[in-house]
Amino acid sequence: MISDKVEMRELITLGGNGVLLHGTYHKPSGEAANGATGSPRNLGVMFLNALSSPRSLVGDSGVYWATQFAASGYPAFRFDLPGLGDSYGEIPNDLLRFTNEGGYAAVASAKTKELVNSRGLSGVVMFGHCAGATTAIYAAAGCSSECKGLILMDPYFNLPKALTSSLRPELVNWARRSRVGAVIRATYDRLREARGALRKGALPPNANFSLISRLKQVLSNGVPILILRAHQPAVLGEAQLRARNFDYFAYIQSLAVRSNQFSIKELDGTDHSFANSEGRLAVWQHTEKWLRELFPQATAPSPLFEDQDFRVHERKPVVFGTRVPAHVTSGE
Amino acid sequence: MPEPQQTESFPAGILGERPGYFAVCGASLYTVLHQVENPVARILLVGPFTLERHTSYRAWLQWARFLAAKGIEVLRYDYRGVGESTGRFEDMTFESWADDVQCLSAWLRKRGEDVPLVLHGLEMGGVLAGRAFDAGVADALLLWSAPANANQVLRSTLQRWIGPQQLLKSPEERRPPSHYFQLLEHGESVEIEGYRWTGELWRQSLSFDLPAAMLQPNDPATSYKRPVRSVALGKNATPLVKGGVPGFEENKDFSWLFVPNHHWIASSVNVPLECS
Repeated sequence: MISDKVEMRELITLGGNGVLLHGTYHKPSGEAANGATGSPRNLGVMFLNALSSPRSLVGDSGVYWATQFAASGYPAFRFDLPGLGDSYGEIPNDLLRFTNEGGYAAVASAKTKELVNSRGLSGVVMFGHCAGATTAIYAAAGCSSECKGLILMDPYFNLPKALTSSLRPELVNWARRSRVGAVIRATYDRLREARGALRKGALPPNANFSLISRLKQVLSNGVPILILRAHQPAVLGEAQLRARNFDYFAYIQSLAVRSNQFSIKELDGTDHSFANSEGRLAVWQHTEKWLRELFPQATAPSPLFEDQDFRVHERKPVVFGTRVPAHVTSGE
Repeated sequence: MPEPQQTESFPAGILGERPGYFAVCGASLYTVLHQVENPVARILLVGPFTLERHTSYRAWLQWARFLAAKGIEVLRYDYRGVGESTGRFEDMTFESWADDVQCLSAWLRKRGEDVPLVLHGLEMGGVLAGRAFDAGVADALLLWSAPANANQVLRSTLQRWIGPQQLLKSPEERRPPSHYFQLLEHGESVEIEGYRWTGELWRQSLSFDLPAAMLQPNDPATSYKRPVRSVALGKNATPLVKGGVPGFEENKDFSWLFVPNHHWIASSVNVPLECS
């Protein structure tokens, strides 16, 4: 009565090297009909957890996107990394710091290789949201043969600073644990970041140098990257902060080895989770358009183009600030 | 920072964690069976609702693993239209979710050895588990933060969602929770973190109650002549209830909650505290 397959989905595991990951495979269109068990030499899309999110991602948007990509012929795989979702394992107390330091890099790289080999894929495009984007960059650097592209949603390249010890401990504790505190922390980080950027004109001291170094490595391999950013409205002085803020996106663009290596889209009508219907649709549209242009393998007409108005719209071309040298400094 | 423990090595007696799809009318439920060798009891975990699933996932999973390590076989699942289960959330009704509890309970009851069956519901899951128990399902019932009706869960979930939303909106776009309550009361849909709550769902929630015998000051154990325990969880139980901040509380120690509740389960269905 309980099965590991349903409709176009199959529950799968990756169990190499004693590390067992639970995941879901979204079969590409046509596979179920012709009874094939794999899509040899096809490119897959591999989803990574966003911080502690289970593999369905916030609002189950990961399920939605994987289903859509598969319907257009791209096999999609969503896995829980060790200690997350249904995969067994311990996680550190400060999961964000662990992720920012590349704690999941080794296992994500190894499992990407395992997936590509076991499924006979030509490679994968890694899909990461927020902290998942951080893991995707680290992992891509560790499996250059297998990772053919990156889709990064609201990536960040700074390290959240600990709140100053001059604050009362209970206030620091509250700021770490409440959602309101999370917003205040983000604002505080941006202020520090902006101040540092103005002072030095280079990467701010709280830049994630290790991550940026890995990104350079990925870019030097010619890997194309799609970045989707949620447009944030001007609240809490955001507009002023943004204007003075260090422009990581301009910086990373300057690291590109070819002019069209980056595609950066800013999306209206959604927020950081991209989970609302407008955000989901926009992410699907931009991503599928990008996939079809760079990795044309679709086996089916896309429902994106058939059933709905194709309404990819960009809020505006992203205007970048002053370019900075493509040289990762220590920031000190 | 050290690498996390990555191997799947279960304590003795636990055969494994088996994910699967359980077919129900028009959909498939994502289930995970924490399979135990010679279980002393079985328990169906009826978990939190929509976005609360997301924040409480690891704590809920830890509870399942805790029970499995004590020799109790556990089945947990995602609601129809939520998480890994199939179906469109906006097409679901409370009755369809209630049917799922009945189906899964029946399946779990028939698995192998004749051992006691316990239902455990958390928040919305408490209402669903309570109603199934009222209908005669299971030998014992454990409720964590079960509200008087489903509407209370919808209200509190929406209020928790709205806080950070307000901070990210410009003043002219901000709306108080009452604005969304009014929309729902007028039959309109509201999208909450990717889940479309319909006016019909809201209407149903108003009359989808926890059985009266389970409400204070009644003594449900006397009414049902089967063990019932109800526990109200406070802010110290985040992220299991009341949201929480992802990334900081996943490793929280819940032994203060798990140990006494396991003791209650063991004593109420008369099974040993430790599996042999």
